[in-house]
Amino acid sequence: MKSVKLLAFAASLAVAACSQPADEVSETPQVVNVYSARHYSSDAAIYAAFTEETGIEVNLVSANGDQLIERVRADGERSPADVIITVDAARLHRAEEAGLFAQTDFSDLTGSVPANLVDPEGYWVSFAKRSRVIAWSNTRVQPGEITTYEDLADPQWQGRICVRGSGNAYNQSLLASLVAHLGEEGAQAWAQAIVDNMARDPQGGDRTQINGIAAGECDVAITNHYYYAMMVNSDDPAAQAAAAQVTLFFPNQDTTGAHVNVSGAGIAVNAPNTDNARALIAYFFSDTAQRAFAEMTNEIPVRTDVSWENPTLAAMLPFVEDDLNVSDLGDHNETAQRIFDRVGWQ
Amino acid sequence: MRPATAFTRPGRILPGRATSLAILAATLCAAPILAVIWIGLSGETGDYLRHLAGTRLPTYLATSALVGLIAAGGAGLIGTGLGWLMARTDFAGRRTLGWILILPLAVPAYVAAYAWLDLSTAGGPLHAATGGLFPTIRGSWGAGLMFALVLYPYVYLLARNTFSSQSADAYNAARTLGAGPLTAFWRTSLPMARPAIAAGLALVVMESLADYGTVSHLGAPTLSIGLIRAWSGAGSLVDAARLSLVLVFIAMLVFGLERAQRRRARSVNAAGRHKPSPRIRLSGLPALGALTACLLPLALGMVIPLGRLVWLAAHTETAPGLAAASWHSLTLAAITALIAAALGLATAYALRSRTAIATLAARAAGLGYAVPGAVAAVGVIAILSGTQSLLDPAWRAITGEVFPILLTGTGAALVFAYLSRFAAAAISPAETALTRVTPSLDGAARTLGASRGQRVWHIHWPLIVAGVTSAGLLVFVEVLKELPATMILRPFNYDTLAIIAHNFASDERLGEAALPSLLIPLVALLPMIFVARYLSRQDR
Repeated sequence: MKSVKLLAFAASLAVAACSQPADEVSETPQVVNVYSARHYSSDAAIYAAFTEETGIEVNLVSANGDQLIERVRADGERSPADVIITVDAARLHRAEEAGLFAQTDFSDLTGSVPANLVDPEGYWVSFAKRSRVIAWSNTRVQPGEITTYEDLADPQWQGRICVRGSGNAYNQSLLASLVAHLGEEGAQAWAQAIVDNMARDPQGGDRTQINGIAAGECDVAITNHYYYAMMVNSDDPAAQAAAAQVTLFFPNQDTTGAHVNVSGAGIAVNAPNTDNARALIAYFFSDTAQRAFAEMTNEIPVRTDVSWENPTLAAMLPFVEDDLNVSDLGDHNETAQRIFDRVGWQ
Repeated sequence: MRPATAFTRPGRILPGRATSLAILAATLCAAPILAVIWIGLSGETGDYLRHLAGTRLPTYLATSALVGLIAAGGAGLIGTGLGWLMARTDFAGRRTLGWILILPLAVPAYVAAYAWLDLSTAGGPLHAATGGLFPTIRGSWGAGLMFALVLYPYVYLLARNTFSSQSADAYNAARTLGAGPLTAFWRTSLPMARPAIAAGLALVVMESLADYGTVSHLGAPTLSIGLIRAWSGAGSLVDAARLSLVLVFIAMLVFGLERAQRRRARSVNAAGRHKPSPRIRLSGLPALGALTACLLPLALGMVIPLGRLVWLAAHTETAPGLAAASWHSLTLAAITALIAAALGLATAYALRSRTAIATLAARAAGLGYAVPGAVAAVGVIAILSGTQSLLDPAWRAITGEVFPILLTGTGAALVFAYLSRFAAAAISPAETALTRVTPSLDGAARTLGASRGQRVWHIHWPLIVAGVTSAGLLVFVEVLKELPATMILRPFNYDTLAIIAHNFASDERLGEAALPSLLIPLVALLPMIFVARYLSRQDR
């Protein structure tokens, strides 16, 4: 038994040893330690290209945004985190409130980025956008029947809407934007109406909702634009067939604009490799990375002066975006969450 | 009949060392939960909990109860039935099925859920093929069903072990007195197996309640959903910690019930293992029926969901990094399983001493099982970073810098978190196994002059080895599947199979999730084959 335990201990140490960032030894290569809530294949490609160009190795931990925030917060001064990346503005806001980001001048990067996508105080920047939009059945919904998010609250949609659960950050941020535009009461009335209009209890992710339309279980769904694009661009014939029965619509084009959320990053306040962190964030704005977002994850690059090839995504652009500053989504997140609780949106 | 406690106190074997190991186990397991409770009690008081009580809390509680009941009912039925078939009957294919039936345990419930919802949702193949008649697997029923299908091996393993070691005397007596086979089973075998079944069910219920991935995907708002929402939605770790108190309370209740079962059955089990009953040989229709009974849960819990994933995988590019992830999963699981089995056994021994401290240690160790992995991980982080901060002043005095980050984000932190979550899973099986070592056996050996070591090695070990390896295996498989704690605590550039599978599955990219999902039971196969062979050697 003793030898077994020794073995176990030795093995756990070996695991520990391998995981130590190696920047204390003089000849080891430059590194940047990334805590990311993104887990897309595009990112691996971007990191590889970054290392190729700069010689800086990327160390990566990916997890849910709240968990990453907690880990960096608890590690405090000794945290090895250099760059923190999340896929939801509310999480960026939360990391900022927790004091995890170093204030940085990103103005050289964000020249062509709309002001509402940049943190006014310079704690973080957004490098890619996603819009939460409306999908409808080609056969059961006529163009023009829906023009805004608010239209979905109309009783004519009773039993016809598919949408995922309210634990999802994208739903929370959409409702947070409605809190900003309609006030808490207006947003709650809207959420209540959506619950009343649901075709089924929330289940699955955004693709499940699009499939729900294709299968005739509902006529309208709320989804992020890239799930639809993923299905159109998919190798799976069933996904293509489902997407073909659905129209993706960017709402509120004559009013507040379609809701936009971001992937964003900031430099950790205790970053051991600040320069490398900045180099990596700058690289997210490079032609290579911006192109990868558009072509590999169907996200909308924040830079408009980069060319890329993705006909599905290109067909969606341009559209009128909600110009609410995305940091407001963080401010209203808790209110949105409580509204969901009150109206019983699962 | 009461066991011959006057003869010799069973706990007199290795009392000191076992108890100190048990205390170590309890500390490891309970510390993160205690840290979470401390976070909950020391934080600022907001109005979130009041808001929750007035809105969603009743739903969370009702859903938790429903999901737990369905999971327990389903897993109890499947696990007990299969355990009895495997232990007491013989039919073509039984030997192979014996360990294959454990495999669904290696299928993460969320993977089964992703696949089943994909199959049965509106527009899915099952929905289309049956013209919408096949119900969509979702909600509380769907989630409970998923748990029953992948967690029944807990009950099966423990029940089979007990059924196969039961004396035939009671059953035969009942038969002689005119009871049919079913009645005899119901009146004699089943009551004797009740502690083992209860131990398995307790694990099923706790795991169902601590799950997040499955219930969130299928839309079954259990308490752990509420807890994660309190954290991610309201951004309050403090309120999430407070909600986890409810889960800890439920865990205490479940394990308390389980122990009550064990106490009631203690006298019955004293029969020991002197005359195992001969297997009932099945052939023809009954054999076919038994085979079907085995294959059905296998098909529903493993073959169909993973088959769907394989089909999807065939249309998708293979994700990179699977070899390294397999190795990570395997080593983490093996290390944790060995330590957990040792700690579980020590706790079981300590419990035999019936001292208050041992009982307390065993109860405390069980707490880790109660809370979702994400919450346990927060506790681990709090403890490790707290320890590092404590060391700061001394370290600063020597080196002028803060204590380096040695603890958080390493393999050691992961093993700590796993032990905290799953060591409880090793205690119950070990304890059940130790009930086979009756006080009279110890007494006889002592009378014959056997030393303490001789007794443990020659008498105890052969009797308990099956139970202890099963305990290790349970923990092994748990670690393979574990997701939230792994995600948050892992070192840089360190993926496990569960993480890769989940990352794709949560994006509904099931094709890419397929291969890593398949590799989890495949990796689990290695130790299972080893254990199965070891156990069959022992049986000879």
